[in-house]
Amino acid sequence: MIELKNITKSFQNGTIKTDVLKDVTFGVQRGEFVAIMGSSGNGKTTLMNILGCMLKMSGGSYALDGVDIETLDDDQLSDLRNKKIGFVFQSFNLLDGTSALDNVLLPLVYAEEYPDDARERATQLLESVGLGDRIHYKPGELSGGQHQRVAIARALVNDPAIILADEPTGNLDSESVREIMDILKRLHKQGKTIILITHDINIARYAGRTVFLRDGKIYNEEVSK
Amino acid sequence: MKIMKIVGVSLKSILKHKLRTALIELAILVGIATLTVVVSLTQGANKLIMKRIQNFGPDAIMVHSGGGKMRGPSTAQQANLTKKDISDIENISGVKFATPFQVELDMPLKYDNQFTTSWVMGVEPDWRDAWRRGASKGAFISNSDNEQLSRVCVIGVTTAKELFGKADPIGESILVKNISFKVIGILEKRGQSPAGTDFDNLILIPFSTASRRLMNQPLYTSMLRVIISDPARAKHVAGKISGILRENHRLASTQEDDFRISTAEQIAKMIKSTSKTLGLFLWLIAVISPLVGGIVLMNIMLMAVSERKREIGLRRALGAKKRDIIFQFLTESVVLTFSGGGLGVGVGVIIAIFVRHLGKPISISWQPFATAFVISVLIGLFFGVYPAKKAANLDPVDALNQ
Ligand SMILES: Nc1ncnc2c1ncn2[C@@H]1O[C@H](COP(=O)(O)OP(=O)(O)OP(=O)(O)O)[C@@H](O)[C@H]1O
Ligand SMILES: [Mg+2]
Repeated sequence: MIELKNITKSFQNGTIKTDVLKDVTFGVQRGEFVAIMGSSGNGKTTLMNILGCMLKMSGGSYALDGVDIETLDDDQLSDLRNKKIGFVFQSFNLLDGTSALDNVLLPLVYAEEYPDDARERATQLLESVGLGDRIHYKPGELSGGQHQRVAIARALVNDPAIILADEPTGNLDSESVREIMDILKRLHKQGKTIILITHDINIARYAGRTVFLRDGKIYNEEVSK
Repeated sequence: MKIMKIVGVSLKSILKHKLRTALIELAILVGIATLTVVVSLTQGANKLIMKRIQNFGPDAIMVHSGGGKMRGPSTAQQANLTKKDISDIENISGVKFATPFQVELDMPLKYDNQFTTSWVMGVEPDWRDAWRRGASKGAFISNSDNEQLSRVCVIGVTTAKELFGKADPIGESILVKNISFKVIGILEKRGQSPAGTDFDNLILIPFSTASRRLMNQPLYTSMLRVIISDPARAKHVAGKISGILRENHRLASTQEDDFRISTAEQIAKMIKSTSKTLGLFLWLIAVISPLVGGIVLMNIMLMAVSERKREIGLRRALGAKKRDIIFQFLTESVVLTFSGGGLGVGVGVIIAIFVRHLGKPISISWQPFATAFVISVLIGLFFGVYPAKKAANLDPVDALNQ
């Protein structure tokens, strides 16, 4: 469902040019749970932003569901993000002063059609991540792990095919890490395609397959389960 | 609907950022209140001018005996307008008719043992058409009254009340300077002038009777009211009248006029010129003040955009299009300016009412409201576009990583 060929990405900052991605080629099948591993600063987030259609690549080609991303304009990319991709960020990115429920509903604001059962759907999702009793809590009243669970519910509200999670457990304690990873595993079982970015081999073990990002390139290596 | 959802987002954000909202609304309030007051003042002044013109008669030209700059009615002693002057003026094309009249101010009147003073005007029947004012009861001064030097009068309601109380004056006789006049009619009510002159404290008597019996000016009249067919040509006709009078009065080119001619336009001009410089200054403030409000709005919104980069980046990541972001921020701006404008109109009207109590002519009608609402929305759009576009054009990845 995802097809990356010879992706390159470099940043130009004044006269300094940083080549972050040099030649990334890999694919993800529908329903797969893939972990992308790499040490800090080697371009994982950059790759994730490209996968999430948030960042233009410098070279190469990216097909999502058979559609060449390069042919889409800004509005079409927005629609695509809204419909097909659920983002889970390392820093949660919930709206302050806004209830868990409204945070979960946020992607629906930008959906082509606002479903009649939006609230029930969002409430159900919050229940499924164990926050059924906290739907009216605001981020300031929730713990880190709870933040991330709200964020996962938000990523799911549009029923996207792909979940992109960039170090979703990076800011969490080990108890919360297990909770979050269990939720992701369950989603995978329910048929979601999940791409998980991490620098932690123990996290990567939850995935069905792990690829390594090193030196701007992707290496497929076996990981002991 | 998506639009309503985004409007909801904007409204929530307005309620959430209270200080920002208060500052913007205050800035717009001041601007719109100023505009409202100035619009009300200007309209009040215009209304006053219109009323003066209406009182004067837009189709009238007044000719007074005696030159110079003095105002008010000419006295019988100054009378220098002849029958020939009148008929020459009536021959000017565009002139419907000219009617002579004389006034004695504060004449003593007596009925029974009641005394009062009022204006006494000698008039011809044309006076009724020239002033659009006839007898509300009884008869008006007729041609035969004038031919026969009849001692009859039409009496204003104030004078009637002074002399007769509630009794019917018609058919009674009153003494004007010891000459007895029979009351034949009651003059239509006119009320007071803005300056406080009571237009109903007067009596009308035949012109000829006034000239010969009261004022002793049998050959002349001191005043003429000329009615023309096209108010737009008043200035032109006034010029012609001036030419004829100078010729008839044999004035050398070095001599000044021995008469005065006034038109509605001149009256209006006179009032306008006194309020013009002030008006310009006020309008300058009225225009600048909302613009300053707009600039404040733009600054605060720009600050809001940079404060809320993360939110914008997040919305973009979750599928907001550029135009959704523009719409969100523009809605915030317009709602803020619109509500600030609404408050501004309220405050402006209160100030306007206050100013009216200080004696300035103020007119409060729908226009200041319409102006304020249109202007405040335009300010919201105009000064809100730049911050909104700036928000929409943020790079989503950069914005999210703030
Ligand atoms: N907008 C940018 N301009 C210039 N350089 C950038 C930009 N974004 C990222 N980089 C550089 O690209 C490299 C990779 O960054 P990236 O955030 O993708 O790394 P990462 O693997 O996600 O790191 P981490 O594990 O710390 O999250 C870094 O060296 C970073 O400095
Ligand atoms: Mg990263």
